[in-house]
Amino acid sequence: MRRASILVHGFLLAATLPAALAQESVLMRALRDELARSMEKLQLAESEKPYFISYSVRDSSSVRVTAALGAVISRREGPQRLLSVEVRVGAPDFDNTNFLGEPDFRSALARASFPTPLPLEDDYGELRRMIWLATDNSYKQALDHLAKKRAALQNQTRVEEVPDFSEAEPYRSDSKGGAPELEGSLVEELARDVSGVFRDTPHIFVSEVRATSSFETISYVNSEGTSFVRESPLVSVRVTAGTQAEDGTPLEDAISRYARSPRDLPSKSELSELARGLASRLQELRDAEVIDRFNGPVLFEDQAAAELVRRVLVPRLLAVRVPVAGSSRFSRALDDAANPFLDKLGARVLPRFLGVVDDPTLDQFDSTPLMGGYAVDDEGVQTGETTLVERGILKTLLATRNPVPDIPESTGNRRGSGPAPSNLMVVPRNGLEADELREEFLSLVNERELEYGIVVRRIGGSQGRIARSRVSGGSRRSRGGAQIGAVVAYKVFPDGREELIRQSALMGISEADFRDIVAASDTATVHTRTHSQSRGFSSFGPLPGFSGSPLISLVVPSLLFEDITVRRSPDNIPHPPVVSHPLASE
Amino acid sequence: MRCYNELPFWKAVRTQMLKVTLARFVAASWAGGVAVMLALGSHAFAAAPVLDAMRQELDRSFQVLSKQPTPAYFLSYEIIEERVTVVQASFGAVTASSTIENRTLDIDLRVGNHDLDNTHPLRERFGFSRPSPIAVPISELDALRSTLWFQTDRKYKDAVEQLTKVKTDVQVKVQDEDQAPDFSAEDPETFMGDLASLAVDRPSWVEKLKRYSAPFASSDSIYSSQATLGFAVTTRWYVNSEGAAIRDSEPRARLTVFGMTKAEDGMELPRFESFFAFDPNDLPGDDTVLETVKQMVSDLDALRVAPVAEPYTGPAILSGRASGVFFHEILGHRVEGHRQRSDQDAQTFKEMLGESVLPETFSVVFDPTRKRAGATDLSGAYAFDNQGVRARRVEVIADGVLREFLMSRTPIPGFSRSNGHGRKQPGFAPVSRQSNLLVEVADPVSGEALKQMLLNRLEEEGKEYGLFFEDVQGGFTFTGRGIPNAFNVMPVMVYRIYTDGREELVRGVDLIGTPLTTFSKIAAGSDEIGVFNGICGAESGGVPVSAVSPSVLVSQIEVQRKEKSQDRLPLLPAPPEPPAVPNSIRVREGGSIR
Repeated sequence: MRRASILVHGFLLAATLPAALAQESVLMRALRDELARSMEKLQLAESEKPYFISYSVRDSSSVRVTAALGAVISRREGPQRLLSVEVRVGAPDFDNTNFLGEPDFRSALARASFPTPLPLEDDYGELRRMIWLATDNSYKQALDHLAKKRAALQNQTRVEEVPDFSEAEPYRSDSKGGAPELEGSLVEELARDVSGVFRDTPHIFVSEVRATSSFETISYVNSEGTSFVRESPLVSVRVTAGTQAEDGTPLEDAISRYARSPRDLPSKSELSELARGLASRLQELRDAEVIDRFNGPVLFEDQAAAELVRRVLVPRLLAVRVPVAGSSRFSRALDDAANPFLDKLGARVLPRFLGVVDDPTLDQFDSTPLMGGYAVDDEGVQTGETTLVERGILKTLLATRNPVPDIPESTGNRRGSGPAPSNLMVVPRNGLEADELREEFLSLVNERELEYGIVVRRIGGSQGRIARSRVSGGSRRSRGGAQIGAVVAYKVFPDGREELIRQSALMGISEADFRDIVAASDTATVHTRTHSQSRGFSSFGPLPGFSGSPLISLVVPSLLFEDITVRRSPDNIPHPPVVSHPLASE
Repeated sequence: MRCYNELPFWKAVRTQMLKVTLARFVAASWAGGVAVMLALGSHAFAAAPVLDAMRQELDRSFQVLSKQPTPAYFLSYEIIEERVTVVQASFGAVTASSTIENRTLDIDLRVGNHDLDNTHPLRERFGFSRPSPIAVPISELDALRSTLWFQTDRKYKDAVEQLTKVKTDVQVKVQDEDQAPDFSAEDPETFMGDLASLAVDRPSWVEKLKRYSAPFASSDSIYSSQATLGFAVTTRWYVNSEGAAIRDSEPRARLTVFGMTKAEDGMELPRFESFFAFDPNDLPGDDTVLETVKQMVSDLDALRVAPVAEPYTGPAILSGRASGVFFHEILGHRVEGHRQRSDQDAQTFKEMLGESVLPETFSVVFDPTRKRAGATDLSGAYAFDNQGVRARRVEVIADGVLREFLMSRTPIPGFSRSNGHGRKQPGFAPVSRQSNLLVEVADPVSGEALKQMLLNRLEEEGKEYGLFFEDVQGGFTFTGRGIPNAFNVMPVMVYRIYTDGREELVRGVDLIGTPLTTFSKIAAGSDEIGVFNGICGAESGGVPVSAVSPSVLVSQIEVQRKEKSQDRLPLLPAPPEPPAVPNSIRVREGGSIR
């Protein structure tokens, strides 16, 4: 239904195009003119001409303020305009992309892998000059890579012939223009005031609030006739805090809130309340007990379920192409980077009662805003709903125009330098009501004759501010699966009593565990985070792109796993501070 | 292993400038705001609440930490606030305009004692220390104290751990050649400078930079151009457990202009000019800058068609600026005191104290207390170094004889005290670094006479031509033992001077050599003084320095071919002008070809 409405919308845009073109921006005009000239004339001696060129310009204006304990630490403000050029030589079946060669930083060609700053003003002549030079460089780099890629493959027979570039329908749209809605002084006030909350919590050793307001405009044209202007205003607040328990155990966590407009951001007092909640959660954790090891049923609720999906399952749902290695030194690393789910298409990866859908056209779920949506992706592919997993069976992966075996077309998920989800939803069929799920959970505990089961309510984030390395923060991947620290977990006894435990970590959890999910709830939590492009190998290869961190929203029900290992974090514990806190000692 | 020291050459300058722009800057109106806040902030020492809070927290922590099983014996805090404005234009259009505020904390915490502490270098270890800037809030004093407390604790634990490693290292390795202590005793200094507050008129600078970068657009062969203003107000608060308390505050402005062309053979040919002044109003006026830009454009046109120079050895004249960089590399980095105690360093001059290393008419002085040379501000000037020691004039070479080294608070045999040269970029640990290098010649000759001396030598040696290095982008040197001890000065404008006095511009060479051989070839100096203001990068980060020198005659130098890009010129011609661009701001200025 939704998809249909979007299509209609697209037609409307197409109909109004001539009018839009008439008042096209100076930037768009410069991009189009240089694109036309390059497609027609750009050629080195006997070499191939480009068969595809695209330009993507990111205009951003932003203010970012970091504050701690009511005082501003740093502030950055300023506009940026960056051009990314993609030039393809060869043919869609075999071109210069999907190749990872030895980087040669001495050559000016290496600059083609990075975005080029453009004049901030709409000065046609200067824009053309910079676009011209960047295109020239990208074209030469493309020729260089194509030659090296052919050389790397000349003594091998390729078992899998996957094209390098998939087809896509031309798409055109235009937009209006705008500026950050939240002024610098207000951003500063927000960061300062929310960070002031921690002045009353001397048990929190380090804290910081970062507030950002930005407006980003992407202007895109390619040689297939696609062009669009996409605008994304964003305001965000991130609160981080850390402390140590009496025995020194580092305890850290962070919360983030994102909105398209300041009106949709929680108010200052609500944010302050969230910050206080963070502080008191860490305080509770300080006094909580520690368990040695637990194997048994674990119920992931709320944010924890969504965060678990994000960390363990999401990377498997991306169609990341492994490039041809230009050197044997890379080939093993690249082999390891292959996504095992490429071989699981048609296989059951989740229980039969679960499905997974990605839908960039949605902007809310049960009146909670979703932040991952967009009308057209970074390659100009019009988006729509993608069913990734249906009744537990893997149907497809989120793809860009860089095809992988058995996924020949883009799903419209190019975001930044590779594929990324938009609004990703884990959808249960006949999910259980909260008390039914809990009953199911406790019956599993009884069945296993365990003293208690574990419910995980939050998987925290941390910057390692307290402990110098390793400990507590984020997740680590190893052959046995991910190790996830900074977990807020409770023992749940058969009588329903709950007891907070601290410093626990989930050990060796992998995508295979998701097949054995026992039950899911009929309600879901919306969880918005930035997607890190460094997961997987999406940022490899010669394709330039803004290595941005697109926002994704996950909609995930509570998930009950039959068998998960939870144990005391294996990391060593730093000693608590020698000198007492200056405010506590007065 | 090695020290890679550079004055800004164009790539590094641009990255360095980036560092400067990103890491250290300030918006001026703010400083006034701080002053107000400070005045309202505290009761006891209304004049300096930040210093007072730092002192209070330092004393509280030090009292406890100095009584631990591994006691702390020294603690210092340095907070540096930078308010930076960066504006940049390219070919007449604005490409960057940003404002950055940063406040960073550096803690020096020492356990052990002055003779052996946690900072003692571990032997056979090399590598640059990585910067670890700590962001610190200062406008709320409780917030400041909380941060100081927590970071001091971390520093203390690191120091205890490091001291154990140091003690083990001292036991298992052969005895140090030197038995100098790790930390000198100094008199605590107190100084309370006014808070600088200088506004930069951004709109007028935007217009200026557009005008300065526009002339490069007159040539279709200039592929890159930038005019950049970096304006920073830096305020520093320093306290230590010996009683020092210093606050100083200072604006700095740097205007740089850059243009780059390529020769047919792919060689990239840059021209770089920079102007420095503490007060942006003291930067040269439009006429001077535009005259320089015009010269740069015609230099670039000339360079593009200039012949490639061959490797050459023979006599040469270095202009004042070239000579300043030359002395900075071959001499300056080798008289930095801490290098004399590292087993990884070649220690060229360690055993040469009291010996003659230059002609007796030459003296080399490092003087951070000197703020100007002629009409030019010197960027290596400061009143107190980053260890709270008062800056001092150091006569390193007097009448050709090596007298002293540049000293931080790390002693070396024979030099137990600092002479105010412990410097760093925020986030790094200070080491001895250069300040304002001044080359003085007792019997200067005129520029003409210097050229005549060159011509005479050519005749004596039967050489067809000598070289004149008019301008340089910077240079670098290696002082380590792991690789040969060479220096490299990167000239941008080099001329062949033929025996008949004719001058011919050439391109594509670097001036190279090894230090001791080169010193013995320095022959004479002129009365024409040049100033090079730059950023010097080494293990304690980038610090502003300057080099002031007369032009000198060197009886024998060596040049090697410059590393060169193998990339072709752009395939398509520059894009045509648009038929009519309503909001074009391009300014075209004729650049005559010389």
